[in-house]
Amino acid sequence: MLNPRFKYLQIAFNRSLPEVRQMIGLLPVSDRILIEAGTPLIKRYGVKGITFLKDCWEQKLQKPGYIVADLKCMDRGSTEVKAVSSAGASAATCLGLAPIETISEFINKCEAAKIDSMVDMMNIQFPFEILQKLSKLPQVIVLHRGVDEFEKQIPLYDINKIKGTYNVLISVAGGENLRSATSSFFNNADITVIWRQFYETPEQTAQLAKEFLELVK
Amino acid sequence: MILQKKEKYLQIALNSNLQEAELIIKQLPISKRILVEAGTPLIKIYGTEAISRIKQLAGSQAYVVADMKTTDLSQQEVRMAAEAGASGIVCLGVSPIETIDLFIKECKSIGVDSMIDMMNVQDPLMILKKLKTPPDVIILHRGVDETEFSKEKQIPYYQIKQIKDSYNILIAVAGGDTIKEVRQAIFNDADIVIVWKEFYQASSATAKLAEDFLKEIK
Repeated sequence: MLNPRFKYLQIAFNRSLPEVRQMIGLLPVSDRILIEAGTPLIKRYGVKGITFLKDCWEQKLQKPGYIVADLKCMDRGSTEVKAVSSAGASAATCLGLAPIETISEFINKCEAAKIDSMVDMMNIQFPFEILQKLSKLPQVIVLHRGVDEFEKQIPLYDINKIKGTYNVLISVAGGENLRSATSSFFNNADITVIWRQFYETPEQTAQLAKEFLELVK
Repeated sequence: MILQKKEKYLQIALNSNLQEAELIIKQLPISKRILVEAGTPLIKIYGTEAISRIKQLAGSQAYVVADMKTTDLSQQEVRMAAEAGASGIVCLGVSPIETIDLFIKECKSIGVDSMIDMMNVQDPLMILKKLKTPPDVIILHRGVDETEFSKEKQIPYYQIKQIKDSYNILIAVAGGDTIKEVRQAIFNDADIVIVWKEFYQASSATAKLAEDFLKEIK
């Protein structure tokens, strides 16, 4: 569903639903924007949070938009994928740290539900070790420095290494400003995930999105 | 810590839907040794409402575990689960050490029990050694997908004593669901036994089943 020739900006939302509605209303209309239901938002509101975001974004775009459910699946791949795909998600995430059985089941169930599978490599030193064990690849690999891991760096050199071997898209999460987004695209990332600036200054949503969007044109 | 070190507990994980959860909770015997868990799928489907609804159904005295499986943004997740009524909250042992440390700190400051789930962690002691403060509970866990697709994977009961020899914490065991496995966990000195499969749907046998499990766990 994602076009490998395009670059995308993924904006993660974690505020309350009324605030999120306002923020999405301020976004420019663009196919290059992916809307993410963040993990805390899903855990707070459940799948109705996903449907809510889907509806808000559709209203803005005047057509269905792309919604990522940041499930961070660790077990019960099948149940969780079914729940978010019927809520309207276009993609879901699974932890690379999950048992291989879970990741495989997750990828299979995403394929069956016709949504994109994203595997989040947070806290994994060598993403290759995980990829080698999978019989089927996900559509997207997320290279990720967690919010709580404030001192670490995102390994941008992994992007080309992974792309040289596997036919997957690479998403980079955990950088928070224009500079880090620019350098992730420069290093050949397909998607950049941002949230903090939007979370902290929701009133600047329109301006922020415009600035970041310049990078993916 | 809210849980008592001298007691043995049965933790019943609710995972199907809130209607089933209600039917199951209604049948459970009243016992301080039963912990009711809002399972991860239930939280992801209903949000924190799953936790508050279960707390409401089980009563204000009930101990509710929120299986948040936190991997990031600890503070935010601990607060929302505690506000919804959780007494124990779960963080993943595979998460970054920074996340686990923040998680334990936040649980302590709020006054809820911190539980670290060691699913897919080879050596839980390695994680424990890196932490600033140990959690209240360690969960030794064989996942549902692992159990389903790799039947040879075993719950490492020997780790219970290993951990208890070095740390003064409670050990929960998850992933075994038969009376035999419950006995094995208790025999190996587990403090909490987590079951779910037999309690996925309510039946006329639910009450008896809970009582039978409780009898094994002493």
